[in-house]
Amino acid sequence: MKRLTHLLAAATLLASAGLAGAADVNLRMTIWSANKSHLDLFNAIAADFEKTHPGVGVTFDSLAFDSYTTTLTTQIAGGNAPDLAWIFETSAPDFVASGALAPLTETLKAAPGYDLDDVNPATLELWSTGGEIYAYPFSTSPFGVFVNNDLIKAAGKPTPAELIAEGKWTWDSAVDLAAAVAANGKAGLIVRDFDYKLWDNLATIWNGWGAAPWSADGRTCTMADQPMADAMAFIHDAIFEKKAMPAPGVSADFFAGDAAMTITQISRASLLPKENPFDWDLVPLPAGPAGKYAVIGQAGIGVFASSKNAALAAEFLAFMTNPDNAAKLAAYFPPPRKSQLTTDILAKANPLLTAEQIDTVVIDGIATGKVKPGHTGLAEIHQAVRAGLDAAWVPDADVPATLAAICRRIEPLLAR
Amino acid sequence: MKTELSPRLKLVLYGLLCVLAVPFVFPTWWMVTSSMKPVSDIFAFPPALIPTTYDFSSYADVFRLQPFARQYFNSAYIAAVVTAGTMLVASFSGYAFARIRFPGHNALFLVVLTGLLIPSEVTIVPLFRMFLKWGMINTHWPLILVPIFGAPSVFATFVMRQFFIALPGELEEAARVDGLSRLKIFWTIALPLARPALAAVAIFTFLHSWNLYLEPVVYLSNPSVFTLPQALTQYVDAYGGPMWNIQLAAATLTALPVLLVFIVAQKHFVEGLAHTGLKG
Amino acid sequence: MTADDGSYRRPFWTIERRDGVVGLLFVAPQLVGIVLFVLVPLALVFWYSLHEWNVLANTFTFKGAANYRKLLEDPTLPEVLGATALFSAGLVVLNLGLALALALLVNQKLRGIVVFRTLFFSPVVVSLVAWTIVWGFLLQANGTINGFLGALGIEGPNWLRHPTTAMISVVVVQVFKNVGLNMVLFLAALQGVPNELYEAARVDGAPRFKQFRRITLPLISPTILLTSIITVVGSLQVFAQIAVLTQGGPGVSTTVLVYYLYQQAFQFHLFGYGSTLAILLFVIVLTLTVLQWQMRRRLVFYEN
Repeated sequence: MKRLTHLLAAATLLASAGLAGAADVNLRMTIWSANKSHLDLFNAIAADFEKTHPGVGVTFDSLAFDSYTTTLTTQIAGGNAPDLAWIFETSAPDFVASGALAPLTETLKAAPGYDLDDVNPATLELWSTGGEIYAYPFSTSPFGVFVNNDLIKAAGKPTPAELIAEGKWTWDSAVDLAAAVAANGKAGLIVRDFDYKLWDNLATIWNGWGAAPWSADGRTCTMADQPMADAMAFIHDAIFEKKAMPAPGVSADFFAGDAAMTITQISRASLLPKENPFDWDLVPLPAGPAGKYAVIGQAGIGVFASSKNAALAAEFLAFMTNPDNAAKLAAYFPPPRKSQLTTDILAKANPLLTAEQIDTVVIDGIATGKVKPGHTGLAEIHQAVRAGLDAAWVPDADVPATLAAICRRIEPLLAR
Repeated sequence: MKTELSPRLKLVLYGLLCVLAVPFVFPTWWMVTSSMKPVSDIFAFPPALIPTTYDFSSYADVFRLQPFARQYFNSAYIAAVVTAGTMLVASFSGYAFARIRFPGHNALFLVVLTGLLIPSEVTIVPLFRMFLKWGMINTHWPLILVPIFGAPSVFATFVMRQFFIALPGELEEAARVDGLSRLKIFWTIALPLARPALAAVAIFTFLHSWNLYLEPVVYLSNPSVFTLPQALTQYVDAYGGPMWNIQLAAATLTALPVLLVFIVAQKHFVEGLAHTGLKG
Repeated sequence: MTADDGSYRRPFWTIERRDGVVGLLFVAPQLVGIVLFVLVPLALVFWYSLHEWNVLANTFTFKGAANYRKLLEDPTLPEVLGATALFSAGLVVLNLGLALALALLVNQKLRGIVVFRTLFFSPVVVSLVAWTIVWGFLLQANGTINGFLGALGIEGPNWLRHPTTAMISVVVVQVFKNVGLNMVLFLAALQGVPNELYEAARVDGAPRFKQFRRITLPLISPTILLTSIITVVGSLQVFAQIAVLTQGGPGVSTTVLVYYLYQQAFQFHLFGYGSTLAILLFVIVLTLTVLQWQMRRRLVFYEN
């Protein structure tokens, strides 16, 4: 009998625990990084939030990078939208205009110690409409060139740092360097994540020619214009004549020590090898015919209006990006806060980088950089350009004709 | 054409068979051996037919990077449920269409046959919205219900019907005279005789479910509910580059068990498939 | 005197009646499934093709014939249909031809022939995506196939990056995957040809290939028809191989109709246009099946 009462008591306890569990709120945020250092940082911030919000849990759901927006949209279509999501700068126009996101301005303004005025208004432009913020650009990250000095010295070439000192850091000299390393059997220059699919990453090259895929208002295709034709001819030549960039279907990883240089964002510094490191450097993008330039990738976090816990999710977003946490995130994701874009603060957040690297790549980059091109209805436009560009990725391609064909194909899509 | 072949012709035929076998066997062999090699050896030429150095770390990574055991279980239980369910549904309806004269049986059989003409790809969008309304997106229900009851099961019904039509009627007649009910006759007499046809249905259905790719990609979006084919394509590093050796290890784990079952039971496979009634 | 016909009245539950109910009950699960998962969705797909669903804004608006006009004006669609036709034709011809050749080979009286039968059939049971991933490696520019070609002094192409070789690759990968199935079906048909017919032909002194043309082919023609229908319909459903090997590229050279449908509906989230493409797919499958069924009268030999 006694046993039975014990059992009953235990059962009651379990049941009440179960009920308490059911009252718990779990916020789900989809992200495209599965990097352990990134996740550890996010989980630490979430744990701090859970301290002040008992019963609330935050999980980070890593989706595959190259199909991220497709998967996210399919989750939304399937009634399985996350509470919060990272959003690429290129699909910002789609998400901000759709009405799928909850407005954030009020929550951010009301958050204790948030100081929304500290956020550079220019960084918010892409993420706002009608004076209302719909997503927060937690990362405003310039593209730079990671360099493997060991490989370059082995090829008997001056390092990019030396070229910069001489004022000779141009695309011609960069490709020359890359070709020399490639001739030694390693890969030359890799535009990371491009892989002949995600062509928008080539903006890190063609912006040096002053080129853009479409006009600022998004209505006219400028792929066939002279700057783009010159830039693409240069890229084609670098791949197929000079062999300075890996050809289609050839894979190489800079961070495994397989390549001389890679163009990517500073958040990828977390991929640098911790054992047997090579002598690496981070330098700004080389100057193109149109002079010095910088390119920024932005990543926003939005809260879905359809979420049952939209208010709480917005509160977490405000917590995650408040001045204290923004300083922590700055290790990988440069914050849009004016007060934090100083060499001191960024250097403290990011022990991997030197003060000079932070100055020349991060701070100058954010000050002068252009954001990668986005558009409404991007998925379809992106695929059309990708399919069209395939004709350019063969040795004897007619690049100008390819670009003209792409314009004919995407012009109706741009005009919509 | 069953004449004794001359020794020379035999030699030629063996040679031809061996050459022809290469594209059927080499990919599987390469997959299994490469999954045990260090990454740097995978693209070495000539490929080592047997790894010179073994590196099993990729097998550990398969389970570390994704809930692979869970995904394996998902695929296995879905395939098992779908196979059992299809065998049941198809043998009932195949038997009825073959042996029972019920009102409208011809018209209804035509209705069922439309399933052969409408590939599930045609109806994927409305099915997606229907399952969305029923709250079954990101669950396994669409991968179970549609194959058992929808278009994919029609082929199985067709195979069962062809078999039951060819079955001599005397056995059943005797049982009917003895007063056995239809259900009893079906369950205790007809179905046990239908083993070869059931084997064919089981093999086809299992492979169909095991290989299903478009549907999981459309319906499922969380790694913990993924099925194997879908999981295999997700072995990419944090930023989208494929992880070759890990992908190969996962592919090996996916392919090998079914292959082993097949090698052990290959006689039943081939005989069962020959009984699909497709002989004309 | 009235006839008491009650004693002659047959019981309500006659064997026929009972059979009728039992028969309907037996087919009920399948019928309900067909209505729910095939016929209703087919009606809905027509309905959806007249609408567009904006996922992000969650609006579902009537568009009339707009999607059908788009179908006619879609500059990519002719290329997609061309790729689909090329893929299906290549697959059917290669698959049936190789299946028949293999079936004839493994039907020979040779010691250990069962081993070869098993080997040719084995890819059928290998997971489709695993098989495709492996071929993806083998077909890389610096992959094993080009390694072999290089050893023979031939510089292999970058298989998956050129329109022609990419199409050849997806067809060949698919043929090796599934040809074993048709081989077994042909083998069963070959073994069903009565041996006396060959003996009679030999007595008449008919050469081997003539025996094949006059006896074997006509007698297995029903099997050829059925397998060709299944192979054609199956070839129109190919998706995983394309998604894993080429993603429809380079350009749109391997974008077959089902892959295009998937792109429009589930990547661009144009569900209405995707539904319109589904209708097109349905019409194509229907037409091809009817055509093949018509051909049966002319080409297929029946004993009775």
